[in-house]
Amino acid sequence: MSNVVVLDNGGGLIKAGIGGEREPTAVVPNCVGRPLSSKKWLIGDQLHSPSSDLTSASLRRPLDRGYLINPDLQRDIWSHIFTSLLPLKNPSLSSLLLVEPLLNLPSIQRSIDELVFEDFNFNSLFVADSPSLVHLYEASRSPYGLVSKTQTSLVVDCGFSFTHAAPVFQNFTLNYGVKRLDLGGKALTNYLKELVSYRSVNVMDETFIMDDVKEKLCFVSLDVERDLQIARRSGRDNLFRCTYVLPDGVTHTKGYIKDPDEAQRYLNLEDGAQSPQLKTKEGMDRLEVLGKSNDRMRIDLTKNEFGLTNERFIVPEMIFRPADLGMNQAGLAECIVRAVNACHPYLHPVLYESIILTGGSTLFPRFAERLERELRPLVPDEYQVKITTQEDPILGVWRGGSLLASSPDFEAMCVTKAEYEELGSARCRRRFFH
Amino acid sequence: MGSCWSFGEMSWVKYVDQAMDEDTSNPLRRMSSRTRKVAPKMVAALASNDNRTQAALARLEALENDNAGAEMVEINEDDDASLDDDDQAYMRKQSKSTKRKTRQAKALENAKKAPRTFLELVNEANLESLPPHVPSYLRAAVGPPSSTSRRHFCTVCGFTANYTCVRCGMRFCAIRCQTIHNDTRCLKFVA
Ligand SMILES: [Zn+2]
Ligand SMILES: [Zn+2]
Repeated sequence: MSNVVVLDNGGGLIKAGIGGEREPTAVVPNCVGRPLSSKKWLIGDQLHSPSSDLTSASLRRPLDRGYLINPDLQRDIWSHIFTSLLPLKNPSLSSLLLVEPLLNLPSIQRSIDELVFEDFNFNSLFVADSPSLVHLYEASRSPYGLVSKTQTSLVVDCGFSFTHAAPVFQNFTLNYGVKRLDLGGKALTNYLKELVSYRSVNVMDETFIMDDVKEKLCFVSLDVERDLQIARRSGRDNLFRCTYVLPDGVTHTKGYIKDPDEAQRYLNLEDGAQSPQLKTKEGMDRLEVLGKSNDRMRIDLTKNEFGLTNERFIVPEMIFRPADLGMNQAGLAECIVRAVNACHPYLHPVLYESIILTGGSTLFPRFAERLERELRPLVPDEYQVKITTQEDPILGVWRGGSLLASSPDFEAMCVTKAEYEELGSARCRRRFFH
Repeated sequence: MGSCWSFGEMSWVKYVDQAMDEDTSNPLRRMSSRTRKVAPKMVAALASNDNRTQAALARLEALENDNAGAEMVEINEDDDASLDDDDQAYMRKQSKSTKRKTRQAKALENAKKAPRTFLELVNEANLESLPPHVPSYLRAAVGPPSSTSRRHFCTVCGFTANYTCVRCGMRFCAIRCQTIHNDTRCLKFVA
């Protein structure tokens, strides 16, 4: 068995496991949370436990805007993962492959090195960035595909803290081409909280619940003007209306969608935007069920529940038009164009033809389709635009790391604890990222 | 072209940072979570006479908020409380090691100063002084959109909004929504 620990330390989720395996051992929130009724802070997986009621829980995260700001808190979370979830008896016998955000600050790198070598005593460390790992994973999945043959791709990582468009060439991320949009899943959840709190019930302190609402009910619109019109309709004609029931702390501690069939009705919209889900047998069955059901439950104000209509697509819309939110930043399609334009013109056609989507925020239905529609007019006609979404956008980076950790030359690429002690953080760091 | 984009981003970062710096020294930070949420916005509003700009800024800042951002001292007290709990085997195990104890003492000391925000760390890193060809966090910012057109959605109901509140700059679509705005939302992000 490999003795490399692979750690994708995301702002939202930590993915941790053993190099060479297909699945990470632990996928847990990178935060501590304290339920309203408790004095005790819960860590990582404890937050996922079915018995914990996270209504109005306080949250603290070691990362801010994607970067580590609180090493003490991060140490407690890693320590819990290493000792109770992996488990890892003795880090001094193991190497660590750590995924770090692009263009990290030297001061933060120093505190990470201290954590790894001084607090946990790892034997050696390799620091990787997510685009190169995603590229590696996709190239290995299809050895005769374009990504593999050209050793080039454009990785679009839309995660929890931010969104990056990053060109990868000869299996290395071209840092000078990286473009960042300061919007990710965290901002989208907060935006959804704001909208629902304005319009229905105060959910400003319900991060976990609103993450669930966002993941289950939000989608990307292919025609915002039209969809806003549909969202104005009343009754059954409003294909977006649905109801989410908040936990009551007695019979259910988790929220849920009141009528899942009702929530899926937007998939019936015709616009050449056939969702892949509808092409499956299951999708067709669902359609039939929808046709039969007539009585839709109304929003019951005696229960703790709220309705959603246009919020479902206005929230993910911000990734495409941050300016609507008042942010002075270009949307995702322009972000990609600028990343490509920062590279040698020779690379432009192949970059547009090998766009890979990763990160949890790319999971909104119709994300790739909308992106392609926005990107196509911005790209020269003679170039193809081809966008693929990773099979599992949340685990893709980790799997790339697992693959790299099991390669024969991995140990040679690492910085050992002895080297760290002799040379210090800054000089060791020069070895990573060429 | 690159320098133009990063300039826009830099000035934004500095602007927000200013507001946050003042927040650090603000006594309101120690207050309960609900009250505290308002504090940076109030500080921001005091720092400028321009309510509309400040409201927009505060709104963006709020999108990166956690609900328990500044309770640093408290967590350490609670860590100790959790050590007595049987569920927390890993903590108990660690509390046996003397190394952990010295670390906790150190952590407690550090905890008295709240951790610096990322934007503070970016400022300290002095990235502006890097030679222009070196990629950095600031230079990677995507920059402003090429089109200045902005769609406006009603902050009350979410539909296309053609009117702007003269006091706070938020949008609404009709008189009905304007009334709701005035009663419940107006200047919410400012005061
Ligand atoms: Zn309205
Ligand atoms: Zn107003």
